[in-house]
Amino acid sequence: MLEIKDLHVSVGGKEILKGLNLSIGAGEVHAIMGPNGSGKSTLSYTLASRAGYEVTGGSITYKGEDLTALPTDARAAKGIFLAMQYPVEIPGVTTINFLKTALNAQRRARGESDLDAVSVLRLVRGKAATLKVPEEMLRRALNVGFSGGEKKRLEILQMALFEPSLAILDETDSGLDIDALKLVADGVNALRAPDRAMLVITHYQRLLNYIVPDRVHVLSAGRIIKDGGKELAQELEAKGYEQIIKDAA
Amino acid sequence: MNAVSPLEIFRAQGVPHRRVEDWKYSDLRSVIDAETFEHPYGVVMVVKTPSAQIETVINDELPDWASSAVQSLGVGGAMDAAAKAFAPNIAAIRVPGGLQIADPLHIEFHAEGQGQIILRLETGASLTLIETHHADSEGLRNLSLSIILEDDAKLTHVRREHFSKTSVTVETMGVQVAKSAEYRAHFTSLGAKLSRTELSVLLAGEGADVDISSVSVLGDGAHSDVTTRIDHRMGHTQSTQLFKAVAGGKSRAVYQGKITVSEGADVSDSRQTAKGLLLGPRAEIDLKPELEIFADDVKCAHGAAIGDLDVESLFYLRSRGIPEPEARTLLIRGFLEEAVEGIVREDIRAETWQLVEQGLARATEPTP
Repeated sequence: MLEIKDLHVSVGGKEILKGLNLSIGAGEVHAIMGPNGSGKSTLSYTLASRAGYEVTGGSITYKGEDLTALPTDARAAKGIFLAMQYPVEIPGVTTINFLKTALNAQRRARGESDLDAVSVLRLVRGKAATLKVPEEMLRRALNVGFSGGEKKRLEILQMALFEPSLAILDETDSGLDIDALKLVADGVNALRAPDRAMLVITHYQRLLNYIVPDRVHVLSAGRIIKDGGKELAQELEAKGYEQIIKDAA
Repeated sequence: MNAVSPLEIFRAQGVPHRRVEDWKYSDLRSVIDAETFEHPYGVVMVVKTPSAQIETVINDELPDWASSAVQSLGVGGAMDAAAKAFAPNIAAIRVPGGLQIADPLHIEFHAEGQGQIILRLETGASLTLIETHHADSEGLRNLSLSIILEDDAKLTHVRREHFSKTSVTVETMGVQVAKSAEYRAHFTSLGAKLSRTELSVLLAGEGADVDISSVSVLGDGAHSDVTTRIDHRMGHTQSTQLFKAVAGGKSRAVYQGKITVSEGADVSDSRQTAKGLLLGPRAEIDLKPELEIFADDVKCAHGAAIGDLDVESLFYLRSRGIPEPEARTLLIRGFLEEAVEGIVREDIRAETWQLVEQGLARATEPTP
């Protein structure tokens, strides 16, 4: 599904990712853990092609296609979804209108026809109920005045709606209390599928108690320095990043 | 007592230019010359009235009830003086006391020329006025609009200006709002070669309530200046103003908003927000809020900000599959939303959005 080889990425002329390798197969859930400044968010923004994140070396291949040449919106249409750490507040654009615009833009890019407002609302309603996203929230301006938990639930609702092949969850646990975390994790787990890969990026092991990964990778100073199964997350929690980084050196 | 006539005022002041502080951003003298006034001709005004009970007179002189109204408002500067001095046709519209009209009264303006309109709503009357400026003017269109709202009267004033690259449009409006009367204005301007909408509102009685929202959506070659003066002459009055401008291509949007709270006008509440969105390096937006407070126990809040489209928001929308041009349009519409959504009537709101969309199509056009 996703093949990253010797990836080098610079932000503002400073190299942040320094030869990152990662391979994720269909149906797999991988976790990337790392301390602050290790390059976690740089990786997620690079996968979504954010302006200012410059790939200076290596390759990113998604379903056999070179991803680096594709702009942000084309990547989304091809099934890559990034659940953001800080979803943006957009005044004057209602959540439901945003969802409809995005869904139809992706459909159009794939050569499918637009869905009308009624069909979109029906589709959204079905998914919103399980994520406890009330209808009233859909009529409010996108993310404006939403609590941290509401914003993250809306990210997962989008994931359920867009049905991506590759979902990247960037620090989805940040700012969530335990109840909100469980709700979000349940939502993510419900979307696990044999044809869908997930990359869960997190600082803390806590989230991985609820979204149990197949593989765990430790990111430090722009490289993966250790790989393992789900038990690696526990080891990290017990020993701390410093010790693991020292051991790997 | 009325020693100085409009003609004398205009002769003394001449065509305003950029060295007149108030016209700093709109140099009228660079686009028209004094000769324009030598042979004054009338603008084409089409008045469509929804009710026979509304008194509508189009004549070359003012009816008695109108001249006292015009006198009490005074002259609003050189261009207002010119319109009053030269306009061959005057429309005088009177809504009798207590008459509440649901359907809008339309005034449509065509071609160039001068015109004067007086609208008086008597005690407890209510009306929606829709003023439409068509793009078929080749020169100066100069208008004076006087509005008198007596006690408890309610006016919704919608003004729409289509883009004309050949027109120089100046409209000076004086509005007097009496006790417990309401004035709601919704202006939409796509600009002109030079467009100046000048609105002076006098809150003359307790409980006077004024709400103004204004949207300027400018594409290449457009200029639009909205200048407001809100005078809280009496206490227990309130006013809100929301100005939004989107400027693309080589264009210029101007907002000058002055609020005066007169001495003794205690317990007044005045709010003003002005925001500009620049879509290109050759667009310019000038915002000039001004506050003058001579009273105590007054609430005044004002804010002004100019920016580009937010890159974080653009990235967010694009990461959801929305292509950049569509994402930009979505954000621009979102920016304007609060200024359009205040229009209560759904049909008028929808028509306003249509005009805004026409403006956006020009404003977001790539320019060489």
